[in-house]
Amino acid sequence: MFVQRRTKGGIFAAVVAAAALVVSAIPAHAETGVTSSTIKLGVTLPLTGAAAPGYNKIPAAMKAYFDYVNANGGVNGRQIKLIVKDDAYSPSQTLSVTNDLILKDKVFALVGTLGTANNEATTRLVNSQGVPRLFVNTGFSGFADMKKYPTTFPLFPSYATEAKIMGKYLADNFAGHKVALIYQDDDFGMDALKGFNTAGTTFVAKIPYAALSQADPSVIGKWVTSIVASGADTVVMFGVTSATGALAGGLYKAGLIGKVQLILGSVGSDGTTLKGLLGPLAPALAGSIAASFLPSPSDATDEYITQFKAINTQYNPGAVFDNNILVGMNTAMLTVQALRAAGASPTRASLIKAIETKGSTWASAAFSPILYSAKSHVGYTGYWFGKLGLDGNAVSVDGAGKYTLYTTDSGSAPVVKAAAARPAMPAKGLPKN
Amino acid sequence: MKHKSPAMRFIFSLAIGAILIFLSGHVDQLRSYQGAQAAIFAIAISSIVLLTGYSGQISLGHGALMAVGGYAGVLAQIHLHLPYPIAFLVGAAVGGCSGFLLGIAAARLRGPYLAGTTLALAVGLPSLANQFHILGGEQGILWDVGTPPASLGSGFTQYRWFFVVAVIAALATFWLLRNLLSTRYGRRWQALRSNPTAAALAGINVGKAKVLAFTLSSAVAGLAGSLFAMLLGLVAPLAFTLTLSFTLVTGAVLAGVSNLGGSIVGAVVLVAIPELSNAAASHFGGSDKVTANLPGVITSVLLIATVLFAPNGPKLPRMKRHSSRQ
Repeated sequence: MFVQRRTKGGIFAAVVAAAALVVSAIPAHAETGVTSSTIKLGVTLPLTGAAAPGYNKIPAAMKAYFDYVNANGGVNGRQIKLIVKDDAYSPSQTLSVTNDLILKDKVFALVGTLGTANNEATTRLVNSQGVPRLFVNTGFSGFADMKKYPTTFPLFPSYATEAKIMGKYLADNFAGHKVALIYQDDDFGMDALKGFNTAGTTFVAKIPYAALSQADPSVIGKWVTSIVASGADTVVMFGVTSATGALAGGLYKAGLIGKVQLILGSVGSDGTTLKGLLGPLAPALAGSIAASFLPSPSDATDEYITQFKAINTQYNPGAVFDNNILVGMNTAMLTVQALRAAGASPTRASLIKAIETKGSTWASAAFSPILYSAKSHVGYTGYWFGKLGLDGNAVSVDGAGKYTLYTTDSGSAPVVKAAAARPAMPAKGLPKN
Repeated sequence: MKHKSPAMRFIFSLAIGAILIFLSGHVDQLRSYQGAQAAIFAIAISSIVLLTGYSGQISLGHGALMAVGGYAGVLAQIHLHLPYPIAFLVGAAVGGCSGFLLGIAAARLRGPYLAGTTLALAVGLPSLANQFHILGGEQGILWDVGTPPASLGSGFTQYRWFFVVAVIAALATFWLLRNLLSTRYGRRWQALRSNPTAAALAGINVGKAKVLAFTLSSAVAGLAGSLFAMLLGLVAPLAFTLTLSFTLVTGAVLAGVSNLGGSIVGAVVLVAIPELSNAAASHFGGSDKVTANLPGVITSVLLIATVLFAPNGPKLPRMKRHSSRQ
């Protein structure tokens, strides 16, 4: 009876009033991990155990950059607090400590979490809580699947992308050469094979090896024998750093250094690590060609490198500037831009929206464009090629400071070659987006 | 406990289960997860207690047997579309079968040689996943056991569901083991542990009894492995590292190696250590490096203290009456 007597205008007014109530209630309801003066973020990576060397330098670099930003006013007046948790590279520990980060410490977002299986293990939790997981530290292309990982943003280019680009580079620069391929016989290597197939690269020999078998000298002997038997003058190495080191050692002992051209994938070509592994044999790798997406940490002409180096000296004293520090700082700078773009009262939803709509325009050290959009969570897509010097660091094949970039996707898109261009480093390394 | 009949123990287990499940409705998700983790660790530790505490054999490779159970359960469920509870049992069965094969070798080995053999298993077995494509390589195989049944209501969280499943499995395992240990098999194993020569002279087939203990212990570890896969949502070589094997042995020592009920204490301590070290680190302040290494330090100190001051594990008041165990 009462309802029947109500006018249309009355109902309309009631709806408007209800909507107003809801809308006005939103700002009062602060987002998890965000207060008026702080934003809490979390990262998991191996700080102890066999996988820790190198990676354990990343959190200090991230903290150093955040400290620098905090000292310069923070993000919209809020100080960034990074909580670091050790997972020893074990997925079960990753899940335990991520439970702590999300359910107890109540972080706003996860940033730069490391490892494929480690990130897989926390996906169910991350998805159920709707926690943004930014710039994960793995080359597994599957994380770009927005249906399975709606809040996850991979950053590094996929292995398939890298192989396709390497195929194009070989076709352009090594036509007529006899090329052999050594690859790790698992998903990592399969991804690479897929990429080389798409590129139409032909090999005189394809030499698979089981992960970790590079520690067995007889395996290295087999590689060298197969290379000699195939008559290859060029060898593409698609494996981890220790495998690259073992190959260089094997070639050196067989007296093949200078007779075969080595071309290294980005996973296994970190100069500092190789130098540590090879010791006096390190010069054996000089002249090898390596694919990279970030600039060389030793490039004193690069504005990102010089700025990050200065911040590292001031806020992370004693830590030698290398690729790990660069990755940490670069991830932190992208995070600051994402937080700025998420607005004055950031929410998890506004953070994800900001990355999808604006992420592709942000400043980052890599020469490759970032492909974030409402329809894509694919990060970097490009590589440049450098020659390793005697010190283990890569210098662009086009000369120091000049970078030619090859870009493509994980699928069937063609490889495009262009002069590298990227947004300029913001003044003093402080984003104003 | 010794005077109870199987039926009494069953009722006792049911009561404990009901209390725990009731309590799980009044804690947050983090505690539910830790509870599930503790229940699974308790099962895994009980497999060591059975093996070491009762039959006198040592294993540093039970993490690998958990991996066998985990992979078996996951693969069986994914490829044969078995119901989840059956997948857990498959994990236990396959774990038991591998334990049987291993046990045949183990029965001929003793002390450091047995430790070495099982240690090699822990080091080598997980990397098998990289050799066969069906095992999913380094990143492993994802396994989603799905959400809790809708009939439990929307407020019933995933972690609480895992807790309930793990507690039921743990209580069932403990009930079976406790009953088994009070049969002649249990007494044979104890005789074996105390003095193999005397046991053989008394007419016990030492080899057979050892193999049986190894098989059963591996089946329990396999069950724990498949439950662990449920909790993680995946199986991967990195989830079953050497560290896990050592953690289980640590838990068993903390439990007092020949004390089945102590498994629960051991498991709770293992789950609590990271929590304690976090609290200590945030109280005293300290760098990330200190925080990261503190759990290892606490575990080691506890281990040394246990071996020095309470080699038979924490004594519950009622246990003092059973001096026969020492």
